[in-house]
Amino acid sequence: MILRRLAFICISTLILLTASLRVGAQKIPDKKITIESKDLSLAEVLEQVSQKSGIRFSYNPKRIQAERKVNYQAIGKSASEILADLAERFDFQYSFVEDQVILKPAKKNEKSAEQVVTLSGYIKDVASGEALIGSTIFIKELQVGTVSNTYGFFSITLPKGTYEVISSFIGYKHSSKIIDLQTSIMEDILLTEEPPVLNEIIITAAPDEVVEEIQVSKTNVQPRAVEERPALFGEMDVLKSLESVPGFKLHSDGSTFYYVRGGQRDQNLVLIDDSPIYNPSHLLGLFSTIIPDAVTDINIYKGDMPASLGGRLSSVLDIHTKKGNDQHTQVWGNVGLISTKLGVEGPFKKDVSSFLVSGRFSRLQWLVQLQDENIKKFSFHDLTGKMNFKLSATDRIFFSFYTGSDNYFSGNNGINWANNAGTFRWNHVITDRLFLNTTLSASGYDYFVYTDVSKNQRWNSHISNLNMKTDFSYFIKPQSELTFGLGLNVYRFNPGNLQTGSSNTQVSNVSARNSLEFILYGNHQVTLNNKWGLNYGLRFSSWTNSGEAFEFKFDDNHNPIDTLVFGKGDPYITYVNAEPRLTLQYLINEHSSIKASYSRNVQNVHLISNSISPFTSLDVWLPSSFNIQPQRSDQLALGYYHKLARSGISLVAETFYKKMHNQIDYATHAETLLNPFLESELRFGEAHAYGVEFQATKNEGRLRGTTGYSYARARRIFPDLNDGKSYNAFSDRPHQINLTLSYDINLRWMIGMNWNYFTGAPFSSPVSFYNYNGLEVPVYGQKNNDRYPNYHRLDASATLKLNKNVEKKYQHSLTFSVYNVYGRKNSVFINFNKTEVSERDFKIPSNLLVSDRTISQFYLFQFTPAVSYNFKWK
Amino acid sequence: MKIRNLLLIFFCVLAACEERLDIPLLSEDKDLLAVEGVLTNENISHTITLTFPYKMMNGKAVPVSGAVVQILEGNSATYTLTEAPAGSGQYVTPKFRAVFGTTYTLWIQYQGKEYFAQDSSVPVEPLPALDYYKVNDQYSLAFNESGQNASYIDHRIDWTTTADCLPGNTCEGRIVFYDLKTIDVNEIYKPGKTDFLFPVNSIIIRKKYSVSSAYRTFLRSMLSETEWRGGLFDVERANATTNLSSGAIGFFAVTSVVSDTTLVVEKP
Repeated sequence: MILRRLAFICISTLILLTASLRVGAQKIPDKKITIESKDLSLAEVLEQVSQKSGIRFSYNPKRIQAERKVNYQAIGKSASEILADLAERFDFQYSFVEDQVILKPAKKNEKSAEQVVTLSGYIKDVASGEALIGSTIFIKELQVGTVSNTYGFFSITLPKGTYEVISSFIGYKHSSKIIDLQTSIMEDILLTEEPPVLNEIIITAAPDEVVEEIQVSKTNVQPRAVEERPALFGEMDVLKSLESVPGFKLHSDGSTFYYVRGGQRDQNLVLIDDSPIYNPSHLLGLFSTIIPDAVTDINIYKGDMPASLGGRLSSVLDIHTKKGNDQHTQVWGNVGLISTKLGVEGPFKKDVSSFLVSGRFSRLQWLVQLQDENIKKFSFHDLTGKMNFKLSATDRIFFSFYTGSDNYFSGNNGINWANNAGTFRWNHVITDRLFLNTTLSASGYDYFVYTDVSKNQRWNSHISNLNMKTDFSYFIKPQSELTFGLGLNVYRFNPGNLQTGSSNTQVSNVSARNSLEFILYGNHQVTLNNKWGLNYGLRFSSWTNSGEAFEFKFDDNHNPIDTLVFGKGDPYITYVNAEPRLTLQYLINEHSSIKASYSRNVQNVHLISNSISPFTSLDVWLPSSFNIQPQRSDQLALGYYHKLARSGISLVAETFYKKMHNQIDYATHAETLLNPFLESELRFGEAHAYGVEFQATKNEGRLRGTTGYSYARARRIFPDLNDGKSYNAFSDRPHQINLTLSYDINLRWMIGMNWNYFTGAPFSSPVSFYNYNGLEVPVYGQKNNDRYPNYHRLDASATLKLNKNVEKKYQHSLTFSVYNVYGRKNSVFINFNKTEVSERDFKIPSNLLVSDRTISQFYLFQFTPAVSYNFKWK
Repeated sequence: MKIRNLLLIFFCVLAACEERLDIPLLSEDKDLLAVEGVLTNENISHTITLTFPYKMMNGKAVPVSGAVVQILEGNSATYTLTEAPAGSGQYVTPKFRAVFGTTYTLWIQYQGKEYFAQDSSVPVEPLPALDYYKVNDQYSLAFNESGQNASYIDHRIDWTTTADCLPGNTCEGRIVFYDLKTIDVNEIYKPGKTDFLFPVNSIIIRKKYSVSSAYRTFLRSMLSETEWRGGLFDVERANATTNLSSGAIGFFAVTSVVSDTTLVVEKP
C-alpha cells in the first residue's frame, strides 16, 4: 500500500516537472486574428479566439468570471496580444500547457499598485452645480460601476487605460465621456437635465440601482415625483407622499404621523441634512414641514439601514437639501390657498460658493379670524437656508439651518411648537479614494401650551441634541467601499413642566434628563464576484444618562419605592448595544437580483404619549433609563428586484419579519402630563410584524408613477395589558394598495392622479355600557377589537405650463388639484357619546336626564379642490 | 355676500364634518357586576345600585336583584342594605352619616361570588357662588374651577312649578360639573357640550362632592371615556378604573358634601 502511494507521488511529480518544462518551452501561436465582440461573455470571446487561432482553452468558468459580458475589438492582433488584453481586464493569468492554454485567476500580488489609478470627483447638475446624490458611474469596457455618495462624491479605482465613462441620473441625460486614465485624476462630471419629451423610449445604459445596490428595504423618492403628485390644497408634501410607499401607513387624513412595518410613530427618524426633526408637522398635522422645493434627495429606509444611520427602530427618512445654485441666481415660489412659498438661490462666486434661502408662510389667519374674533394667532412658517463654499478642490464647507413654528392662540390660551435645526458640514477629499465628512449639528423641539397668556403661564416640553460626527468613505476598489465613522450626541430632555411668570420660574414636577450617546460604526459593501454581493456592518452605541436629575424606582405594582438624586454631570446609567447589519445579494442576471438582509436597531429616545389622535398633541420625550430599557428590533427581509429594461419599470417584491423588544404602551388612562411618576404609567412588552410588499416604479418617460400592494400584520403583547393576550397594533392594516401616476399630455399639460387604499385601523369599540353618575360609561372587551371603515381616496391634478417657450427665463405654471375626488368620508374618529344637536353638529349632552346619544364619525376633506401658481425665474 | 365670506364658508364646509355612522356595535355578553354607590356625610339612607351592563347605547341597565350587600364602617358598625323596591337593583342603607377619616368597606355577595371595595372621604371645600347668565330670555349655568382640591358639583334644576313649564314637557335637568384639578390633553380639548337653558324662577339645588384620591382616579378615567372623549386629542380607549374586586366595574365612593338651593332671578 505504502509502496503504491510512493510510486504514485513519484510519477505525479515527474509528470508535473515535465509539464512545467514544456510550458517554458512552448509559445502561443503568433497568428494574427480579428475578434469583434459586442455584449458577449468572456467564454464566448474565448471560443472565438479558439476557433480563429486553433488554441484550446482550459479554465474553471466560476474562477475567471467567464459569464461576464465584454465589448471587445481586436483587428489583426496575435492571440497572445488578445490574451494579454483579456487577462488584464478580467484579472486572470494564463499558461500554455501541452497544446492548450490554462486560465487561472491572477495572484493578488501580481497586480502592482502602479497599474491601478483612481477616477474621482463630484457628479453635478450642469445648470445649478447641485450635487446629484446616487448618480451612477459606469465603466463600459470593464462593466463595473459605482454610485455617488450622499454628498455627490464618487471614486472608482481601475487599471490604467482608456475608458468610456457613462454617468446617469434619473431625469438627466446620460453622459458618455472617453477618459484616458494613465494617472489618478479628480474630475467633476456634469449632467444636463432632460428636457420634457413626449416619447416613451427608455434608455438604460447603466445597470439599475434597485437591482445592483446591495441594499434592501430602501426607497429613493425624487423631489420631482413629490411635486407632480396631487396634494391637499396644492401643498406639495414629502411626508404625505410616503403613503404611496408600501409598508408606510399614515395615521389618517390630516396627520403627519406614520407607521412603518408595524412600528410605532416615534420609531421613525426624520433627518434634514443630518439634523433630526422631532415634529415635522404644521397645522396640527395637516401639512408637514418638509416641502420638496428645497430638497435634492430623499432616501427612505424601512429597515436594513446603513450602519451610519440608526437610533430608531422602524425607519429613517434621510433628506438632503439643495446647496444652492452656484451658476446663476434664481427665484422660485408658489402661491396656494393656504400658504405662500418663496425661494432664492444663487452664487456668491460662480462655481465656488452659493446660497439658498426658502420660506413658507401661512395665510390662513385672516380667514379664521373672520369666523372667530377671539382667535389671536393662527399661523405657521418654515425657513430653510444653506450656504456652501468650495475652499479648494478637496475641501467644501456647508452651513444649513431650518426653523419652523406653529402658533394657535385664542383668547388667553394657545399652543405653539417649534423645530429648529442647524448643521455645519465639512467635506474633505483626503485622497482620491478616501472621503471625509465631518458634521456638527444641533436640533431642538419645543412644545408650549399656554394656560394663561397674560401671565405667561405655560406648559413646556423640550428635546434637543447636539451632534458631532465624522464619516469616512474609503473606495477600496470598484464595487468595494468601506464606510466608517464615529459620533457623539448630547441630548437634553424636559418631559413637560409648568413655567410661570415672566421670570420663567419653573415648577419641576418631572425631572429634566441629560444623556450622552457615543456612536462607532463600520460598513463594508463589496461585490464578491459577478453574482454575489455583500454589505455588512456594525453599529456600536453607548448611551449614558447624567445629572443633574432625579429618578424614581418602582416596585412590581408600579408604586414608587425609591428616589435617586444625581448631581450635575454625574453619570448614572449606561446602555451599550451592538447593532449588526448584513445584506447578501445574488445577481440572477443584469436585470434581476435577490437580496436578503438582517438588521438590528436600537432606540434610546422614546415618545411618551397615549394619544390616539392623528393631530400633534403634547409630545413628551424621555431617554432610556432605569425604568425604560432601550427599544430593540431585529428584522429579516428577503426581496426580489427586477428591472424591465425596455420600459424602465423597476419591480420590487419584499417580505419581512420584524421582532421588537421593550416596546412601550400605557396603563389605563395614563397620566402623562406633569406626573412625577410618569414612568410608572408605562407598560413594557413585545411586538412583531410581518408582511409582503410589492412595488412597481417608473421614474422616466411620458408616463411615470408607482404602484404597490402590501399585506402586513402587526401584533403586540404586554403582560399587564389586555389580560396578557396579544392584540392588533394600531398600524395593523393588512391590505394596502396605492397607485400614483403622472402623464405628460403635451409639452405644456401634465396630469396626475393618486389612489390609496388601506384596511381600516384597529380601535377599541364598546361591547356594552353601564351608568355612573348619569353618564353612560362604555365597557371594552379585547383591546383593538374593532376596525375603522376601510380608507380609500382618489386625488387628481393637472398642471399647465403657462410658457410656450421653455427657454424663457421666467417659467410659471398653474396647478389645479382635487383631493378626494369622489368624496369618500374616511373616519378620523368614531364616537359613541355624542348627541346630534342639529345637522352636522354633534355635542356631549349636558342634561344627564336625557339619553339620546348616537354613533358619529368625524372625517376631514371631502372633495377639496385647490389651485396654486408656481413660478421660477432663472 | 363678500367674496371672503364665501371663501370662509367654502373652507369650513370642506374641511371637517361629523355625521351619524351606522355601524353595528360588537356587543358581547359581559357578565359583569356594575356598582354605583356614593356614601356622603349626610344623615340619609344611601343607595348602592347594582346592575349588569347593557348592549345598546341609551339602553336600560339590567338590575341585579337578590344580592347580599353590607357596608362596614371601620371596624365598628356594619350596615346591611335592603333592596328597595324589590327587583330594582337598588340597595339602601339605614340612615347614617359617613364620617370623615373612617374607611368604609362595601361587601357584596352575589351568586356565590364576593366583591369588596373600600374608600374614605376627604373634606369638602365651600361651594362657590352660583354663576348663571342670560341667553335670550332664558338662563345658562357658568362653570368655573374653584378651591384647591378635586371635587364635582351636581346641579338639579327644576322649573316644574313655573309658568314656563308647558304640559307634556320635561321641566327639569341635571348637570354635573367636574373639577378634578388634573392636566390632561383630552380634557383641555374636550368636545363641546349641548346648551342647557332654564327659565327664570327655576330652582337649582347644588351639591358639591369631595373626591378622594382613588375616586379622582376613577372619575378622571370615566370622564376620559365619556365627557372628554370626542375632541381632537383623544387618548387610548380603555375601561374605567375601579376599586371593586373580583372583576366588578364601577366605583364605591365615600365623600363629603355641601349643598345649597338657589332661585333663579332676573338678570340683565
